[in-house]
Amino acid sequence: MSIATAPTALSGVLPESRVLTGSAASGWTGGMPAEAVVFPADTDEVQALVRAANETGTRLLPAGAGSWLGAGGWTRVGGVIVSTARLDSVLHYEPADLTLTAGAGLGWRKLAALLEPNGQWLPVDGPGVGVGTLGGAAACGVPGPLRARYGAVRDNVLGLEVVTGDGRLLRIGGRVVKNVAGYDLVRLFTGSRGSLGVITRVSVRLFPRPEADVTMVFEGGVEEVLEVARVVRASPLPVAAAELVVRGAGVADGEAELAVRVLGGREEAEDVCSRLVAGIGAAPGGTMRGGESEVFHRRRIEWEGRLPLVVRLAALPGQLAATMEWARGVAGWTGGEVAGDVFGGVVRVKGSPGDDGAAELAETLTRVRREMEAAGGTMTLSQAPREVAARVGWTGAGGGGGGLAEKLKSLFDPRPVLQSRCP
Amino acid sequence: MIPDTLAKSLVKICGQSAVIVDEDRLLVYESDALTAYRHRPGAVVLPRTTAQVQGAVTAIARHGLPIVPRGAGTGLSGGAVALDGAVVVGTARMNRILAIDVANRRAVLQPGVINAELSAAARPHGLYYAPDPSSQTACTIGGNVAENSGGPHCLKYGVTSRYVTGLTVVLPDGSVAKLGGQGRDAPGYDLVGLFVGSEGCFGIATEIEVGLLPLPEGVRTLLGIFDRIEDAGRAVSDIVSAGLLPAAMEIIDGPTIRAVEDSVFAAGYPTDAEAALVIEFDGVEAGLDAEAERAAEFCKRAGAREVRSARDEHERMALWKGRKKAFGAMGRIAPDLLVQDATVPRTTLPSILKGISEIGKRYDLVVANVFHAGDGNLHPNILFDRRDEDELERVERASKEIMQLCVDSGGTITGEHGVGLDKKHHMPLIYGPAELDAMWGVRRVFDPAATMNPGKVLPEETAPGWPVEGDARETGEPMATVGAAP
Repeated sequence: MSIATAPTALSGVLPESRVLTGSAASGWTGGMPAEAVVFPADTDEVQALVRAANETGTRLLPAGAGSWLGAGGWTRVGGVIVSTARLDSVLHYEPADLTLTAGAGLGWRKLAALLEPNGQWLPVDGPGVGVGTLGGAAACGVPGPLRARYGAVRDNVLGLEVVTGDGRLLRIGGRVVKNVAGYDLVRLFTGSRGSLGVITRVSVRLFPRPEADVTMVFEGGVEEVLEVARVVRASPLPVAAAELVVRGAGVADGEAELAVRVLGGREEAEDVCSRLVAGIGAAPGGTMRGGESEVFHRRRIEWEGRLPLVVRLAALPGQLAATMEWARGVAGWTGGEVAGDVFGGVVRVKGSPGDDGAAELAETLTRVRREMEAAGGTMTLSQAPREVAARVGWTGAGGGGGGLAEKLKSLFDPRPVLQSRCP
Repeated sequence: MIPDTLAKSLVKICGQSAVIVDEDRLLVYESDALTAYRHRPGAVVLPRTTAQVQGAVTAIARHGLPIVPRGAGTGLSGGAVALDGAVVVGTARMNRILAIDVANRRAVLQPGVINAELSAAARPHGLYYAPDPSSQTACTIGGNVAENSGGPHCLKYGVTSRYVTGLTVVLPDGSVAKLGGQGRDAPGYDLVGLFVGSEGCFGIATEIEVGLLPLPEGVRTLLGIFDRIEDAGRAVSDIVSAGLLPAAMEIIDGPTIRAVEDSVFAAGYPTDAEAALVIEFDGVEAGLDAEAERAAEFCKRAGAREVRSARDEHERMALWKGRKKAFGAMGRIAPDLLVQDATVPRTTLPSILKGISEIGKRYDLVVANVFHAGDGNLHPNILFDRRDEDELERVERASKEIMQLCVDSGGTITGEHGVGLDKKHHMPLIYGPAELDAMWGVRRVFDPAATMNPGKVLPEETAPGWPVEGDARETGEPMATVGAAP
């Protein structure tokens, strides 16, 4: 499919005003290659687009706000981007049920503004969530540190409407919090990164906003802070999330900070914090409460989406020290930041490698993957320059399933038209 | 009966004592806890290892016989019933906890480990396994994985799928696949999440990795007594809307209270009440009393005549007793019991409860409700005597109406018991042909030869080309009784 013919193949499906091509398209993608960006306004239009793509052999890339186009190498292969940004209506929100159903394109900020007056939230803090869409969060399914308290994205997605790669419209799951009717296709599609279908609607479980939101920040050398993290992780006290960050010069110097977040009733949160401090044996460098704590975490998840390199290292939380060490090894080549989820065991390296040194970076990444896999972990490239990804590979051997993933892919997208991959 | 050659192969693979072909001994395996569906299996094999499961599955499939995986047989949807002389692969002997990894708050175990035994083994380390189906002293984790089981405390902690982080499964073709594992972050599709709740249709989990939680420091348990069940429903909605998140909220209605109080399980609930609401909070001690007081206040405002609170573990057990023994007590007052399992949006609880009561009256039936009110997961139970044909027909019509009422309110046909044999013909109430077709497709990805637990979950008529022998409509009886507490 050439750049000139892609929009033609889908022409007539959407009015021209909702098709971007040329410089307008690359403006929207931030310079990543795309033959066109199209904005369907309802599920029928999504279905019509997918069917037309199947007939003409056009490659599609599902997206929401376009804040994470690089993930898994989406736009490295070009194609027509289908943005669900216009599917942004709220279809059902009953605060007392603590559930919400909305179009996939509902922006995270709009969602938060809708929930706030009712004292509710969707506690999903995966990277980039704050600037993306509800559908994007469901499609990416990447959890953040709050998983320790609220579960991952997939634990809170109750139902989905999707247009599969072969153009079928499916409404799976529901909008009640407990549902075991039939096979759990919701879990299959959540986190599938748009590789099986275009998510058009999402039903989620909401939570009451806790009365108190307290974050204690501990600073020091990496070893020292890792020890604090170990104490926090071993404590039976209910800690909502804990994240360890090494950034900038710290990657070389070994300076780190640990943010420990406690959520709950006011009395409960203060009690938990003081007992944590007693257990750690050192006072935090700083403590934030209420809005200040919230803003701190919102900033932390501002998206790294347009960074050239994001590497995700996952192992058991008990292996955090080793995983941090591997991550810092990678960060030595890229600069940037290393962030570790203390309870989840996931460490992310976010950096901007220079143009030269790709071969050395690739070598380091390959070695880290080999060592991590030998230790039972995995290393995945979330984003990477093309030449690095080509040498390293987006994913390693992990994942398993002996061919099941490929069969599921061809079940829902046999041609295939969806170019996105699920790392 | 199975062919001799197969029996010999199974003995060779799993040992003499692991293979049951004797007709009398097979009787035990003819149903699960939903005793209305009874079919004697062709044989039962009880392997001890993944390799033995693999060998058994391969041998049975080679003979073209269907396979039914089975845990403790406490399921309530007929999911473990062996249709068409299927061979049961039971996990009862795979009952070893392989590791409790305290540092990572996880356990690795074989599927036949009893739910409550896992928590008991984790307790000395200050940990426990959160999903707590009422049958937890008998049911297996493997069965919980197959059914994606819930329980009273899932209100706060979530159901089984939130806790399963890795699986070793024997697929229907005899191959072994490792899904996820080593924590929660395997790349790729969430195949663990897809497998959980697949009701034995995708394969047999032979090793299970689950997450454990630290034991809560304190617990507060309340019991609200109401003259009207709608008021209890309203109290639940009000508590949730106020931002409180109890660990559990359970309602026992008037007919159930009276059944319990008339039985050996008498828990001291007033017999003239129309609803009892058990509310439990857990967590750190600080703030627990305040939360319990607020919940008690909501109960009173919604019209509770009395709110009791437990002062110690003994009193706590007493407050729970009426809830936990409800099914057992009902089993004593009627010969048969139809257990339903719909989930509805929480805010519709008061109107749904009223609707269910009206349906009961219209058909002149006793409907007793015991349910997970916080989740909106209802268990309307219809008490009847199957020998009364007229009553049997009324039960069938009433149960369909109740199911429809719940679905129309935005609910679903099963919240935690699974579809199995019992509810597969209700699947079209909530899913259209496209969704059912997609589910058939996924099932065939795992089981292209239709070996594993055929006749369950999906109605055959929605799958053109799927073998139709083993269709339970011909063989299963429509009504349900309860043999064990769910």
